Amino acid sequence: MTDLLEIREKIKLFYSRFEPFIVPVLKFLLAFIALNTLNSRMGYMIQLNNIAVVLIVSLMCSFLPANFIVVFGALFSLLHMYALSAEVLLVGFCLYLVMFLLFFRFTPKDSLVVVLTPLLFALRVPYVVPVAVGLVCGPASIVSVACGVGIHYFLQTVIESSSTIRTMAEEDFAAKLRFMIDGILGNREMMVMAASFAITVLAVYLIRRMSVDHAWTIAMVSGALLNIVILLVGDLIYNINISVLGALLGSLLALVVAKIVEFFRFCVDYSRTEKVQFEDDEYYYYVKAVPKMSVAMSTRTVKKISGQSQYARGTSAPARAAGSGAYRRSTQPPRGEAGRRVTTENTAAGRGRYNNASGYGRRENYRGGKSVTIGSASMDSDQEKGSENFEEFF
Amino acid sequence: MLNEERVILMTRMASYEMSGEGKQNVKIGNFFRSDYIALQLLKSFASVTIAFGVVFALFIFYDFELFMQNLYEMDMAAFVKKVLLYYAISAGVYLLATYTAFTYRYARAKKSLKSYYHNLKKLNSLYSEQQ
Repeated sequence: MTDLLEIREKIKLFYSRFEPFIVPVLKFLLAFIALNTLNSRMGYMIQLNNIAVVLIVSLMCSFLPANFIVVFGALFSLLHMYALSAEVLLVGFCLYLVMFLLFFRFTPKDSLVVVLTPLLFALRVPYVVPVAVGLVCGPASIVSVACGVGIHYFLQTVIESSSTIRTMAEEDFAAKLRFMIDGILGNREMMVMAASFAITVLAVYLIRRMSVDHAWTIAMVSGALLNIVILLVGDLIYNINISVLGALLGSLLALVVAKIVEFFRFCVDYSRTEKVQFEDDEYYYYVKAVPKMSVAMSTRTVKKISGQSQYARGTSAPARAAGSGAYRRSTQPPRGEAGRRVTTENTAAGRGRYNNASGYGRRENYRGGKSVTIGSASMDSDQEKGSENFEEFF
Repeated sequence: MLNEERVILMTRMASYEMSGEGKQNVKIGNFFRSDYIALQLLKSFASVTIAFGVVFALFIFYDFELFMQNLYEMDMAAFVKKVLLYYAISAGVYLLATYTAFTYRYARAKKSLKSYYHNLKKLNSLYSEQQ
């Protein structure tokens, strides 16, 4: 467990250090995968079905706000619909407009959910969505998940009925429109999926907010089970032929993903739970405090720098070392100077130490940075007085 | 002279203002509760009206020929009344949902802004002390 926690800390550190680069890359990848999947599934407009166009749009998405992935996704799908038939475009445009006007007002920041839901449906792992969204987002995300399900089934209807629409006469406007609307409104599977996902999101959210021990684990397991039960009941009532094996395997995958999400978002140690009770003038407080699991990162300590030093004249070594971080470069001697040797020592993370004895949760050996000890044999004697072995914290 | 406490306070406040949630909350905090909710209700009213118009248009085009055939035979007043009733129900439900959601959102934003305003006051007092 300590190793995992250490890896988590490293990932967090890496992310916080390179966030300005990681976020655009992730946005680019998401846009690229989403648009490519859309092109491979629909692909009616030949001009759009081109990797160069997808790359350019994905690059644009990488520096635009995340909501633009939804905008470009909608635009791509509408253009493909236009290539298929103007009537399909009209129905698609009306559907997107109604969703935009009525639903996205409540959850304008859930664009990722709206993109990921149809994408995961296309990748045949949709059951991850309700459990993960219930753990990470709020109850308002029900709207986004339901919209994502609606978009997937609408696109599915367009893809499945494309051959029929092509065979219809050009001038048969009303028939094509009717065909599309019937295809959407008569899709029982969509209704069952949307309902089961919405209920699962709400259930997972409500359970994970409870103050019982292992609330997140209970929430994800019960959410996955509830989802399967609703799907089975919907299957029995409407006879929609949902793959039970697929739902079970998908739910298992959802649990794995949910566990990973929990590890990064809510990693606590219930064995050290503290319950305290106190009062002030107005209230009695019953507080349950559950400590987070954390581990001290291994740090590299520079123990000694020996040999001819560049600090020998003029400036005191501690100030230079602290101010410029010169100790980091000092493993290779600067040009024109005699060689210097730096001795470093790794301070390992606290391993296998639990509870209050020390271990995760307590950062006893964490010093907030690197500790440096510099000793110079060639310093002037007056400087040596002021700069014997010292410790500097960054 | 740099005042360390003031710099820390300003950094903390700037970081809150720059974060997505903070930015949104500061925007909400500029409104009175009634003004904010009224504005959202107005936006929702416009949205639901357009959305209802779109759905109604699709309904008409769904069976346009039949609609045109029956246009002169149907009881127009009853049809309009029925459409208006559906519109009123949809708008009512949607506006109620808007009221509930944005009342909750306003309360949450105000709660979150409490410490921000406290810091603002503290900063102001630090400036006053210096003068």
